[in-house]
Amino acid sequence: MRCRKAERLIQRSFDGLLKPNEQKELDAHLLKCPACRKMLSEYNYIFGALREEPLAESKPLFWERLKPHLKETYPFDAWPLWKQWGMRAIPISLLVIIVLAVTALFILPQPNGELSQSAFLLQNQNPFKDSLPLLEADKSDNPNMMLIFTAMDDKSNQRRYFP
Amino acid sequence: MEEKELVLQSIQGNEDAFGLLVNKYKNKVFNMAYGMTHNRETADDLSQEVFIKAYKALPKFKFKSQFGTWLYQITTNHIRDYLRKEGKVKQYSLEEMQELPSPDKNHTHTIEKKHIDKKRKEIVHNAIRSLPEKHRIILVLRDIQGYSYDDIAKILKISPGTVDSRLFRARRSLRKKISPFLNQIGGNHAMP
Repeated sequence: MRCRKAERLIQRSFDGLLKPNEQKELDAHLLKCPACRKMLSEYNYIFGALREEPLAESKPLFWERLKPHLKETYPFDAWPLWKQWGMRAIPISLLVIIVLAVTALFILPQPNGELSQSAFLLQNQNPFKDSLPLLEADKSDNPNMMLIFTAMDDKSNQRRYFP
Repeated sequence: MEEKELVLQSIQGNEDAFGLLVNKYKNKVFNMAYGMTHNRETADDLSQEVFIKAYKALPKFKFKSQFGTWLYQITTNHIRDYLRKEGKVKQYSLEEMQELPSPDKNHTHTIEKKHIDKKRKEIVHNAIRSLPEKHRIILVLRDIQGYSYDDIAKILKISPGTVDSRLFRARRSLRKKISPFLNQIGGNHAMP
């Protein structure tokens, strides 16, 4: 038998829970183990002090002192509740916020800043909506521009080298 | 009047019925508090607070357990709260224990024997007070109050197996705390 098991059996013997075969086993171990004999002597000291003690009686006029306090109402004190739960709630809520933020980052669809041309077409939108006013404004200049370019073409023809 | 009837009347606001319950359980509650604090004034205050708490919580009592068990649950929880508020557990040094006289075999005089017994109890109680709160509670319930393993399991809301293992560790811690002192005084410490 190991000394740890012997210690458990010694404790159980003080509770009166030891079976006869366990008692024999313990007695045999105690005969050859001085450390466990010392342990038994220490438990004797402890249990002797604890179990001899008569139960103490409450102070006199217990009920008479208690009765007036039964109907007292105490103002709600939030501090103990906060101390118990609030301090724990701070790290937990921080953790929850972080987890939610990370989840949102990965799960929620990201808004696409620049839609592709096909996406615009799918949404039945004009991809050049923003540049339309500019194009419309340029329309009035078009005949002049055409004249200019025509003239330029003529000049270039005149200057063309013909050997 | 039966205990259940007393509880029912107390729930309806009959203070005299509650007074009978208080008189029945006051010593056990006081002893539990005294075992944990080893101070009569503190134990008295704690036991008064326990009964006030119990009176206010009576409407929540659903007769799923004995009234006594329910009251002891309130008591242990209240004492736990007190011990936590009180702060860290005081560690009693060997020197503090040595202030007490050692049991001498030549002390045959009755008064001196009583004195030695008293001091021996103080040593053990000081050592108990230096234990962690959960070890202290289980030692008080079993070795001072004498509750059965099953009752302790119900009061602390743990399994009987946990009671067994926790009690073993608590007693071993207590022995290890007292052991250096006993080594110094020497001798056999058999139960008288």
